[in-house]
Amino acid sequence: MRRLMPWAAGLLALVAGFVLQTQLYTGQERTVSTILMFVGLAAAWNLIGGYTGYASFGQVGFFGLGGYTTVVVMVHAHLSFWLALPVAAVVAGVFAAAVGWPLLRLRGHYFAVATLGVAEGLREVVTNLPGVTGGGAGITIPTVGPAAPTPWLGNDGFYVLFLLLAAGVVGVAALIATTPAGYALRAIHQDEEAAGAMGVNTTVAKTLAFAVSAALTGAIGAAYAFQQVTIFPERLFDVDITVLMVVMVVLGGSGTVAGPILGAVAVGAASEWLRQHLAVGHTLVLGALIILAVILLPQGFTSYVSSRQYSLLENVRRYRL
Amino acid sequence: MTLSARNLSRRFGGLTALAGVDLDLAPGRLLGVIGPNGAGKSTLINLLTGHVKPTTGRVLVDGRDLTGARPWRIAHAGVARTFQIVKPFRGMTVVDNVIVAVLFGTGQAVRAGTRAARQSALEVLDRVGLADRAGANPAELSVADAHRLELAKALALRPRVLLLDEVLAGLRPAEIGPALALIDRLRADGLALLMVEHVVRAIAAVSDEVLVLHHGEVLTRGTAGDVLADERVIAAYLGARYAARSRAASEVPHE
Amino acid sequence: MSPLLQATVYGLLQGCMFGLVAVGFSLVWGVMNIVNLAHGAFVVLGAYVAFEVHRLLGLDPFLGMVPAALALFVLGYAVQRYLINLVVNAPIFITLLLTFGLQLLLVNGLILGFTADYRSIPTAYAARSLVLPGDLRVPLGRLLAAAVAVGLTIALGYLMRRTRTGMAILATGMDRGAARLMGIKARHVYALTFGIAAALAGAAGAAVAGVSTFSPADAGRFTLFSFVAAVLGGLGNTAGALLGGVVLGLAEGIGGQLLPGTLVNAVAFAVLVVVLAIRPQGIAGRAFYAARVET
Repeated sequence: MRRLMPWAAGLLALVAGFVLQTQLYTGQERTVSTILMFVGLAAAWNLIGGYTGYASFGQVGFFGLGGYTTVVVMVHAHLSFWLALPVAAVVAGVFAAAVGWPLLRLRGHYFAVATLGVAEGLREVVTNLPGVTGGGAGITIPTVGPAAPTPWLGNDGFYVLFLLLAAGVVGVAALIATTPAGYALRAIHQDEEAAGAMGVNTTVAKTLAFAVSAALTGAIGAAYAFQQVTIFPERLFDVDITVLMVVMVVLGGSGTVAGPILGAVAVGAASEWLRQHLAVGHTLVLGALIILAVILLPQGFTSYVSSRQYSLLENVRRYRL
Repeated sequence: MTLSARNLSRRFGGLTALAGVDLDLAPGRLLGVIGPNGAGKSTLINLLTGHVKPTTGRVLVDGRDLTGARPWRIAHAGVARTFQIVKPFRGMTVVDNVIVAVLFGTGQAVRAGTRAARQSALEVLDRVGLADRAGANPAELSVADAHRLELAKALALRPRVLLLDEVLAGLRPAEIGPALALIDRLRADGLALLMVEHVVRAIAAVSDEVLVLHHGEVLTRGTAGDVLADERVIAAYLGARYAARSRAASEVPHE
Repeated sequence: MSPLLQATVYGLLQGCMFGLVAVGFSLVWGVMNIVNLAHGAFVVLGAYVAFEVHRLLGLDPFLGMVPAALALFVLGYAVQRYLINLVVNAPIFITLLLTFGLQLLLVNGLILGFTADYRSIPTAYAARSLVLPGDLRVPLGRLLAAAVAVGLTIALGYLMRRTRTGMAILATGMDRGAARLMGIKARHVYALTFGIAAALAGAAGAAVAGVSTFSPADAGRFTLFSFVAAVLGGLGNTAGALLGGVVLGLAEGIGGQLLPGTLVNAVAFAVLVVVLAIRPQGIAGRAFYAARVET
């Protein structure tokens, strides 16, 4: 019975999400859609960064890859969005598995930098293939009329799509956490050498986590691309998206199921509020907030609560030189 | 079920950590490995378990050549080890640590699921005497209990070969007896054991054969009695002067 | 005149400047295991300091390196001492996030203060070129900048190996605990190291201002190129970072001739990924920290 409680809570949250939609104005609806998108992204990043401990700083590469795959497939092959979405996820996942083969042998900063390099490289490649991707000038999906493979979903439709995607990602994360896969990933995070000695095939486990995380991120990227209609490489491969994801997971509490959700909601809401009320300089304030939050709450909110150690200064004392 | 090593060597750049080591492990027998610090003892275990690739030589398990195989393949073949500096998963409870080994140690698909694995894990903890600390955090364990956890994690693999890397390190004299009794039980259960150790009287008590490593090479091998009286061995540990003294004193019966 | 040869000359000179930027970055990573995502912002900040000093006092940008280096040293010291030192013992992505937040702060502050327009400091001599046989043009400004870059790198090497301060830095980098036990104040040494790295970045920025255009939007590019150069050269290896920068400059210059558009940047990242996968200790270096899984 106790084991079912978290699932019941999740289901409740999903229902609440649907109910919330009926209460929102269009502008607020778009804001919440964006927050839901980040819930999904953060939960997906958590699989490789939080559970397994491999901090990928190139996650936006999969986001953009998913987005561009969708657009290219819809524009050039005239496929429906509902076909393009799974294709995008698979492409992102397979790419991650291929690229993970050499990269997952790296640790720490090296892995972070290498993944960042991959994401930047993807952006450059996309920018330099104008015939296929529209290059720097962007590319547009036809959304109305006979040329449109799928009619645009509308703000309501995208809200539901992002809500379902977020629920899906969180569901996958929860599933992984409670099954043997979760034990394997956590063991790798804590001590990869010992995990190997105990029979965990670390190569397969890491690569699967990376690929699943990438596929889910790619799916969300696909939805985002469709929502934006016209996409550009600088936006779909924006490093800031990766950083936001990571900040959300870190502040919410990495390695937990609830952490990324809390972090995404808190940071996403803060970011959107700043964007609307401080047109000039909101990124600056965001930067300052990130610095402050990372110093005061490095272990994340969920750990802060569960440790029952409520002094923020104690955090500082723990990690300072 | 045997584990054999033939002409095992490992060089790190200019340093030869291990050179030309041969050994055989058989069920129900315990091979003790001693030698001064830096003799290559831990390297030997790392080579046998796939954590380090040998420069030359072969490792055979039941006749299968597993030289240079990844650690988990060697674990699945039935070879388990403990780590000299204990490596528990600190973010998980004691029983969760063992559950990882139960789930993945035998290389078979993880069919039974975590609930059954927890049951097996508790049984293993009982076997090493840690059942009452199942829910504790590894950081809270005493030195003796931490070593027990290392052993539990290795035993959860259902191994047929067990390599122990200084499991008695840091134990008080009173704790050594029970530890040796446990090891003796494992030997009686039919495991093939290799034990790297510094506590010489422990080696003398449980080994069927002793191997002495010095500067990465096998200095000598034989029964515990022969090896410990060997002048070269004493010279390696304590220097030539004490070797001479011991030669003179060898008339006097030891305890 | 062969455009390829001309591109090689430009690439070499540009590479020396990349190298100067990378040297400080590599020093901080090698000694303190901190990847400073705000390093590029320091470069741009140095450029603006030189720009302002030129605007107010008419100081030549190459002389403006001095105030830029000093200002950045003070900033770098303070940032390390009072901000980054607070999270040194936390997991690595905490410091990455902290320095990224710092970068957001600095870059957007610069945009607010100076706008995102591209600027430069024109001098009479910088545009003139030395003309070598074969009609090879070597711009004087860039030649001077490259010479300064090499000189500063050599000076840093001397500082690290022959002065007490330098040895304290190296010792703290190798074993912080042991260094502290010997009386070295780690907090101060870390701050000093970061300050030196920032100063070098500032000086590089002043040079950039004198020989080409700059804007706050360049910060990310400088940081990323520092990564590649530092990794190529081996972490903590200051001469290696310079070498890495040169290799990168050459690749950019020659690649720009051979590849369309900005694809050359993708080549830089591909090189980075390949090097990390095959030889993380770089072309010239030995890794300070074990970055690869042993098995």
